[in-house]
Amino acid sequence: MTRTRKPGVSRRATLAMMGAGAVSFATPWVARAQAKSIKVGMPTILSGRVAQLGTSSRNGVMLEVEKVNAAGGLAGRQIEMVIRDSKGQPQEAARVARELVNTDGCEILIDAEASSGAFAVHEVARDLGVLCLHTNSETSALTADPKQHIPNAFRTARQGVHDSIVGGSYAAAIAKAKGLKKWATCSPDYAYGRDTTGEYVTYLKRFAPDIEIISESWPKLFQPDYTEVVTKILQAKPQALYSCLWGGDLTSYIDQANIYALFSQMEVFAVNMADYTALTVVKNLPKGIHSGNRYIKTYPATAENAAWGDAYKAKYNEYPTNWSWENATAIMLLAEASKKANSADGKKIAEALRGLKIKSPFGADGTVTMRAEDQTLVGYAIGWGTTIPQEPYVPQVQAGDWKTIFELEAEWKKSKGYT
Amino acid sequence: MTELQAEQGAQALDVPHEAKTRRNRDALIALAVFVVLALLPAVFSSKLLLDFVIRCAAYGLFATSLNLLVGYTGLISFGHGMFFGLGAYGFGLMMQKTGVPVPVAFVATLAITLVVALVIGAICVRLKEIYFAFVTLAFQMLIHSTILSWVSLTGGDQGLRGGIPRPPFLGIDLSNQLHLYVASCALLVIGLFLMHRIAQSPFGYTLRMIRDNATRASFIGIDVWRAKLTIFVLAALFASTGGIIMALFVSGAYPEFAYWTISGEGIFINMLGGVTTFLGPMVGTVLLLILNDTVTRLTDYHGLVLGIVILFFAIGLRKGLMDFVVEWYAQRRNGAGERG
Repeated sequence: MTRTRKPGVSRRATLAMMGAGAVSFATPWVARAQAKSIKVGMPTILSGRVAQLGTSSRNGVMLEVEKVNAAGGLAGRQIEMVIRDSKGQPQEAARVARELVNTDGCEILIDAEASSGAFAVHEVARDLGVLCLHTNSETSALTADPKQHIPNAFRTARQGVHDSIVGGSYAAAIAKAKGLKKWATCSPDYAYGRDTTGEYVTYLKRFAPDIEIISESWPKLFQPDYTEVVTKILQAKPQALYSCLWGGDLTSYIDQANIYALFSQMEVFAVNMADYTALTVVKNLPKGIHSGNRYIKTYPATAENAAWGDAYKAKYNEYPTNWSWENATAIMLLAEASKKANSADGKKIAEALRGLKIKSPFGADGTVTMRAEDQTLVGYAIGWGTTIPQEPYVPQVQAGDWKTIFELEAEWKKSKGYT
Repeated sequence: MTELQAEQGAQALDVPHEAKTRRNRDALIALAVFVVLALLPAVFSSKLLLDFVIRCAAYGLFATSLNLLVGYTGLISFGHGMFFGLGAYGFGLMMQKTGVPVPVAFVATLAITLVVALVIGAICVRLKEIYFAFVTLAFQMLIHSTILSWVSLTGGDQGLRGGIPRPPFLGIDLSNQLHLYVASCALLVIGLFLMHRIAQSPFGYTLRMIRDNATRASFIGIDVWRAKLTIFVLAALFASTGGIIMALFVSGAYPEFAYWTISGEGIFINMLGGVTTFLGPMVGTVLLLILNDTVTRLTDYHGLVLGIVILFFAIGLRKGLMDFVVEWYAQRRNGAGERG
């Protein structure tokens, strides 16, 4: 029996064509699926004494990443966070950052490091040209010093000089009203402590020229016993005390100073008090300590901010920290910049980030802006108020004026030779 | 001439020849290792591997130089990290402030380290055991505090910022990762070769004698203080070279480089790799960095994992890995010899 070949396309050929068609049809989908996620690397401090802040940075980021992914990701690509512990060591932060980019294929870095680590990661970003958002370092020089400037690095954190301008003018007003002329300072003995205190005193004296610093104390970072410092301050008998102690140091200091009733003998200005890490840990929180806002869900007093704080609490069973909102802001800005650029490409996002203004629960007027000239965040809520021992902890916050901040910041930059 | 005298005469003639042969063999091995390392990027394209080897070079030089003190001379220094930090800061500052060519900054940094090590060493090596350990720690803390306090020069706790300029020289561009890799490999191999020559020289055997019985060494006419000071300074120079490589790797210098924890890591690396063999610290370096890098990737509880590893070496093996391997190999050979 002979098989005759039917005219037209054979079954085998038809199947082959269908297969080829399916492959060619599916290829873009497969490719798109492979390109779907975008890896974002994040070195942060997950072990050691400030691990809690690193964890709160991670939480802040993840809270927002889930929202962005649910809304379609960055230009259609889901964000995949790769988060590693840098142990707070700059050389480790640099290594981890390089590894995240070179080996894990991260296209964007969120640098959730304290200052020294941030400067180390900044150099990695300079070397590799990867888009980098510094989220925790508040050292002004990171973005204010033109020598540090690289087009691919941005900062979504506070800036030390902003805090000093607002804190100095707030304290000067109280000093004038209450006649507080004799001041003492007590800050940690390292660059942040000395720089922040110096800037604060500069602006305090600028607004209230007749004040006098009669005692300075510089306890070591992570010092366990503050007895000597407390008694030194009491002996000097100042009318007011300024401190930029933070975290565990601040809570230990307050607990120990409470024994000597220090807080009832003078007005106390502690810039880092109004953060839940300090507010909820101190056993007997004194009433009437003046503090700058770090993160509190009642300031700015908006529904958006309260909702954000509650959502964080619901998810992580604790309130966010100052580092949480700074990291959350990085993701919010990334999402908006990606939308504006209609791309997840680092360079295009960087272009879109310059000068970008977004709605934010943490904004003084409901918005924050990534200032184009120095690629740092401005317009965030910044203010000072006095504490009470229970929620809302700082019931009335006096808002800082961004117009004044901009004017004095420009002067400060000039004096530093940055402009 | 007696038979004994004849044998001694022959040995006296053979020793220089044997030493020369050994030196040539070591040089050849070093060259081969360098060639293999330099060819690695052609085989593996991983940038992670290049970074890993650069860090191995920095920590390896540091740890091996520490072993010249700990293992060979019996001087347990808790402050060796100060020279690692000094190298990083010296080189970084030189490049940032003066703009001299890289080789000039390199040599100048070693010269500064030499002077500082001479001064500190002259005081430290007069002391023994725990007193030596603590006085080195005290000097380290002094240098660390100076770095923190001298903010205008060192940047304080934020370190040397703004990157370290690395202008090309003789066609070598250290801002290029591949060039930095090859340069680090070269420094590592040269450093290890020189340290091995020191360890195998008559001076190296003098150090072992001082370690085992310093009083006896002085009775046979050895100037113990001078020998200790010499090795202290030499070890400082190699540690400083490690610091220079680290500064180039991170393009900065940070106070952590001169903190006691770096010295602690050096001691731990030596414990891990073993102090009785020359390559023990190098093996320890590779082990620690692999452990650190992999464990950090897998869990936040890396401290716990590393602690368990330390316990395993301290309680389980009671020696470093290379010590264990060498001992096991010797026993096996002896066993085979006895059976044979």
